[in-house]
Amino acid sequence: MTDQPGFSRAQVAVLYLVLTTAIASGIAIYSSASTVTGLLRTATAGLFLPLLLAMIVAFLLDPLVNFFEHRGLNRTLGIFSIYLLIFVVGFFLLMVLGVPNWRGMMLALKADVPRYISFAITYVANFLALAQQHFPFIAHYNLEVHLRDFSQTVIGLVLMQTPRSAMRIGSLLILVPLFSFFFLRDSRRITRALISLTPNRYFEMVLDIYAHISYQLSTFIRGRVIEATIVGLVVWGGLALTDIRYAPILALVAGVSNLVPYIGPIFGMLPGIIIALVDLGVGPQFWWILCVYILIAQVIVDNMILIPVLISKVSNLHPLWVILAIIMGGKLYGVLGMIIGVPIASIINIIILEIRQYRRTFNPYSRYFTRHGKML
Amino acid sequence: MNPFWQNIFRHQKDKQTLHYFLSQVPMFAKLTTRELRFLEKLVHVRNFEAEEPVFSTGDIGSGMYIVRTGQVRIFVPRHEGTERELALLEPGDFFGEVALTASRPRSASARATTATVLVGLFRSDMVEAIRSHPAPMAKILLGLNRVLGDRLLQCSLQLDQFLDDAERSARDQGHD
Repeated sequence: MTDQPGFSRAQVAVLYLVLTTAIASGIAIYSSASTVTGLLRTATAGLFLPLLLAMIVAFLLDPLVNFFEHRGLNRTLGIFSIYLLIFVVGFFLLMVLGVPNWRGMMLALKADVPRYISFAITYVANFLALAQQHFPFIAHYNLEVHLRDFSQTVIGLVLMQTPRSAMRIGSLLILVPLFSFFFLRDSRRITRALISLTPNRYFEMVLDIYAHISYQLSTFIRGRVIEATIVGLVVWGGLALTDIRYAPILALVAGVSNLVPYIGPIFGMLPGIIIALVDLGVGPQFWWILCVYILIAQVIVDNMILIPVLISKVSNLHPLWVILAIIMGGKLYGVLGMIIGVPIASIINIIILEIRQYRRTFNPYSRYFTRHGKML
Repeated sequence: MNPFWQNIFRHQKDKQTLHYFLSQVPMFAKLTTRELRFLEKLVHVRNFEAEEPVFSTGDIGSGMYIVRTGQVRIFVPRHEGTERELALLEPGDFFGEVALTASRPRSASARATTATVLVGLFRSDMVEAIRSHPAPMAKILLGLNRVLGDRLLQCSLQLDQFLDDAERSARDQGHD
C-alpha cells in the first residue's frame, strides 16, 4: 500500500488522505449513530408502560366499541360514550362505596412491612437452625444476613419509589386513556396503511395472517386480563371474610401475579400468608386464607372454570419458556418485566404458530403431504 | 365563470371517485351512497406493473379483484410453459370472487398485461365488517350470491350444450 514502484509521491499522499477521511467519517457515522440511538432511548424511556397499558385497554374496550358501532353509532362517538360510561360508573361506585383509603393503607403498610419481614427472617432462621442440625454443611450459607440485606434494600426502594410512582400513576391516568382512544379509533386505519406497504406477491398472505393473529391476540389478552381480575376479586372476597388487613392490596397482588403462569400464583400468595401468620397466627382463619388462595382462587376458579372458558390452548407456553421469559423480562424491566414477560412471550408464540399454521394449510403442495410432513 | 366548463369538471370529478366506480360494479349495484362510502374504506387499491402476476393457479385465494384501469389476462398454465387464455378483463370487470366466502385454491392464474390498478375486496376485512356493519354487508353478500348464481347458471347451460354436442358427435360417428 505504501511506496510501491507504481505510485508517485502525490498519489501516495492522496491515498493516505482518502484512507484517513474514510476512517474518520466511519468513526463519525458510528458515534453519531450511537448518539441517535441513545437519544431515541432517552426519548422513549417512559413510554413503554403507557403504550402497553393503552393497547391492553384498547383490546378490552374494542368489543364494546364494536357493539355501539353495530347499533349504528359513529365509532368516535361510541368511544366517547364508553369513556363517559366508565367515568360515570367509577364515580358512582366511589360515591356509593366511599373512596378506599389507599393512602392510609400505604402508610400503615410502610410501617408494618419491616415487622412482617423481620418475622419472615426469624421464621427462616428457625427453619435454618433446624436444617443445620440435620445437614451441618448448610452453616456455610449465611442466609439470614443475605435476607436481611435484601429486605433492607427492598424497603429502601419502596420508600424512595412511592412518591415517584404516585407521579407516574398520575401521568398514566392521563396518557393511557388518550393513547387508547387513538388506538381504538384509528387502529384499523394504521394497520391498513402498514399492510398496504407489502408487495403484491405477498399481500393476500399478509392480510390473512394478520387477521388470524389479531383475532388470537385479542382473545388472549382479553382472556388473561379478565382471568386476573376475577381471581383478584375472588381473593378479595375470601380475605374480606377474615380479620386480615390490607385485603385490597393483597387481592391486587394476587390478581397481577396471576398473569404469570405456574410461578406467579405462588409469589402472589406469599405476602398474604406472611401477613396472616404474623397478625392472625396459625388458626382457623389462617387455614381459611390458605384455602382461599390455593383451593378456591387457583384450583376451582382459575383452573377449573376460567382457564377452560377464557384461554385457548393455542397460547399455552412450555414451562421452560415461561421461566426464560420471566428471567429475561426481569433483566430488561425489573418486576414489571417479570409480570409482562410471559404474556409477551405468549404473543410471540401465537404469532409464530399462526404463521406456521398458515404456511402449512395454505401450502399449494400440502395435499401431497401428511400433517407430519411425510409424503403421501 | 362559464357554466358549460364548470359542469364538465364537476361531472368528471364525480366519476373519478372510488365510490362512483364501485357503484358501477354489478355486485355493488344496489348499495346506497352511504354504504358505498363504507365499502370504499373496506377495499384495498393495489397497483400492478405490466406483466406482473396477480395470483397463480393453486394459490389459496383470499378475495376478489375489480379492474379499475388497465387490463388483466386470465389463463390456465399448460405443459411446457404454454398458456390457455380464458379471458381478457377490462376496467369494470371483476374476478376471484369465489375466494371471498372461503379459502379455495385459485382455479386460474391472473396477470396484468399493462400497468393496472386493481381494487381488492378481501375475506378477512369482510368477516370483520360483518360483525360491525351487518346491514350493508348483507347487501354486498347478496350481490355476491347473485353474481355467483349467474355464473353457475351460465356454466350449467354451457355444460348442457357441450354434453348435447358430444352426444350428437358420438351418434354421428356411430352412423359412420
